[in-house]
Amino acid sequence: MEQPQSFFNRRVTRRGFLKLLGALAVTLPAWSLAGRHARAGETNARPKKGIRGDHDLVVAEGADPYATTVKAVEALGGMGRFVSKGATVVIKPNIGWDRTPAQAANTHPEVVAALIDLCLGAGAGRVNVFDATCNDARRCYDNSGIREAAEAHGASVYFTNDWDAVKARFAYESPMEGWPIVRDAVACDTFINVPVLKHHGLTRLTIAMKNLMGVCTGSRGTIHQGIGRKLVDLTDFISPELTVVDATRVLLRNGPQGGNLADVERRDTVLASTDPVLADAYACSLVGVDPGELPNLVAAKARRFGLSDLARADIAHVA
Amino acid sequence: MKKLVRIRRVFQLFFLVLFIYILWSTTYPLTGLLPPETFFKINPIVMVMTALSGRIMLAGLSAGLAMIVLTLLFGRFFCGWVCPLGTMIDITARLARRDRWGRSMRTGKARLIKFGILFLVFIAGLAGIQAAWVLDPMVIMARFVSLNLIPAATQALDSVFVFAMTTLGMRETLIDAYRWLKESFLGIQPHFFAHAGGLFLFFALIIGSSALAPRFWCRCVCPLGALYALAAKAAWMRRLVDICRHCTLCIPRCRMGAIREDMTYDKGECILCMDCVYDCPQHATRFGIVPRLREKEPEHRTGISRRSFLLLLGLSLAALGRRVFAAASPPAGTPAGSGIIRPPGASGEEAFLDRCVRCGNCMKVCPTNGLQPLMLEEGLEGLWTPRLVPEIGYCEYLCTLCGEVCPTGALRRLDVEQKKRTRLGLAVVDRSLCIAWAHGQECLVCEEHCPVAEKAIKVVEHRGPSGVVVGAPVVDPNLCVGCGICQNKCPSRPDRAIRVFPY
Repeated sequence: MEQPQSFFNRRVTRRGFLKLLGALAVTLPAWSLAGRHARAGETNARPKKGIRGDHDLVVAEGADPYATTVKAVEALGGMGRFVSKGATVVIKPNIGWDRTPAQAANTHPEVVAALIDLCLGAGAGRVNVFDATCNDARRCYDNSGIREAAEAHGASVYFTNDWDAVKARFAYESPMEGWPIVRDAVACDTFINVPVLKHHGLTRLTIAMKNLMGVCTGSRGTIHQGIGRKLVDLTDFISPELTVVDATRVLLRNGPQGGNLADVERRDTVLASTDPVLADAYACSLVGVDPGELPNLVAAKARRFGLSDLARADIAHVA
Repeated sequence: MKKLVRIRRVFQLFFLVLFIYILWSTTYPLTGLLPPETFFKINPIVMVMTALSGRIMLAGLSAGLAMIVLTLLFGRFFCGWVCPLGTMIDITARLARRDRWGRSMRTGKARLIKFGILFLVFIAGLAGIQAAWVLDPMVIMARFVSLNLIPAATQALDSVFVFAMTTLGMRETLIDAYRWLKESFLGIQPHFFAHAGGLFLFFALIIGSSALAPRFWCRCVCPLGALYALAAKAAWMRRLVDICRHCTLCIPRCRMGAIREDMTYDKGECILCMDCVYDCPQHATRFGIVPRLREKEPEHRTGISRRSFLLLLGLSLAALGRRVFAAASPPAGTPAGSGIIRPPGASGEEAFLDRCVRCGNCMKVCPTNGLQPLMLEEGLEGLWTPRLVPEIGYCEYLCTLCGEVCPTGALRRLDVEQKKRTRLGLAVVDRSLCIAWAHGQECLVCEEHCPVAEKAIKVVEHRGPSGVVVGAPVVDPNLCVGCGICQNKCPSRPDRAIRVFPY
């Protein structure tokens, strides 16, 4: 007796089965290839714009973190040089730890606020502020004071997601090859790195280059093995247009978290530079540390990456 | 129509949603409209039995007692109108189309089981053993919502969004909505719980028991229902039948089987669901507040006989005596004799087990997901109590949330300064695995993350096998609080080279 034919009780014929196999053989590879645009040996790093400041480095001093930050950027040539109209800007402070601004483990919220105002004043379309934190992200964003300050000044502040990353590809052989990097940190028009200068057990000091670990996701502990070379490659990959170092108060011991106010000293200084290596090298002098003690500066010098020789740099002081 | 039934359903849904909302908001930064322990505070079983077994006066004990007073006036309104587990039972029965089926099922003497359970819990409480948690409906429901429902729902929603944004390429459209969701009710990361399947099975068995008889759990097992049944015997709120032609239609339709063959009803079993008001073809059944009936109700010996009561009393006194006697001898074994790390604020293992009701609040609120339910690692008495599993999540140094949400004080409320001094265990470096000690490579991730201001992990110079001198970690046992962040962040795989052991 003839069975009524419907989608579910249709008999599978040999011809139908082979057709299905053929269709799958065409569509599946197409599907899996659709998302892969890049070919091997091609880097997906941020493009280097080569924007120069009026000086290689500006050292601004002042008791007010907000005003000092504005002074530093103005003396470098103003934010308009780095931010074009409608641009998407990433401001990447250090929000790594569940600590208060006075404890100096995170970037001062007023430094971040000043940069947001400068970016929006220069016509930025959108300012994003984030960090892949070490402690619970909500506690870090809240207790650092950065979320409150940044949102009040008009930035969008959000948490990073491990799935929302791009795998770094380098044009040269790198130990960071394939490392997942927060997508928004790569896909932005201007990247401003805003570290805080402080003590660190492994790298002696953590400043600009080490702060870029905050755009890496995944199990970051293994970056610590051979960290100097890895930080150089990471800095090369991100190539921040502008680096602003918060040295308004410095955690001198028991970093990078601290917690004890006796370990914190005021320096009332903000550095601005287009060269993260130079910013790191100069910041060492603020706390009397030999740059040769920082593995990332040693590796940068060996690779001739950036300018780590202070004698050859054009350094301007503003007070 | 059926106005009263509809009103009851609205109440049931309201309290169910409120219950889920409260547990949903039991997360950092704890800014929910109601305190996380609300439903436990109004639960006399949890509060009274814990006070009894822990020999303490609990804050909020009065709320539980107030519920008993309300039941003395209005009967088991809690079971029919408020209890979220009862609502879940009603909803699933309706979905399974079993709400009108099998109502003729008589539970008969089986309904006495719940009184037996209540007395066992009471005796255990007198003897200093916390047993209320095993079958308390609020605790069962809270564990289901916190450890099964919310993790599954958030994980599912998160996966849908991530699939749409990655595979379907809708990132630009959805990313802002997704970020907003994560900050509001998704939470920044979905939690996972060990043995969630076992927890769910327990819950599913209770819901599924309705296949035996409608509300079988509430009729025969629930100790909270038993307590309210005892109180409801005196209730002023009564079922009043003005005209009865003995059609007996209401008998098989009563979800609690509370109406007897002679058309009287057991006030202790009635949960005021209002079904019989509309099942009555005479439209002559109603509920009203009548402090005293004029004619005396016929005697029904359905409760506990005098002989059993005296037997139970004797047993409880014997148990008390054992407890007093036992107190003179030293406590058996060291607290946490095995490898279990308890959450901060847990006082001694025995006292902790006496107070912990396994409600799951601490595990729900833990920001790192590090608090996980035990299975039988600590024996049956440790079932579903919280433990810290540092490899899943460490104890956040300045966080005090678990103590803040504990309804019975099994975890003490600590201020931040107390919390910083609270020891959970001691970290130990395994030099045979450590990247610095064994391989001579730079690492110090543990030292970097150590939250103690003076650093409980010190750095010493170590010459590795290749001759290079690197910094290697050493734990200062006087400073380590055992938070486990070092174990959590240690890059050594498959085993971590620094691990926290119970202190």
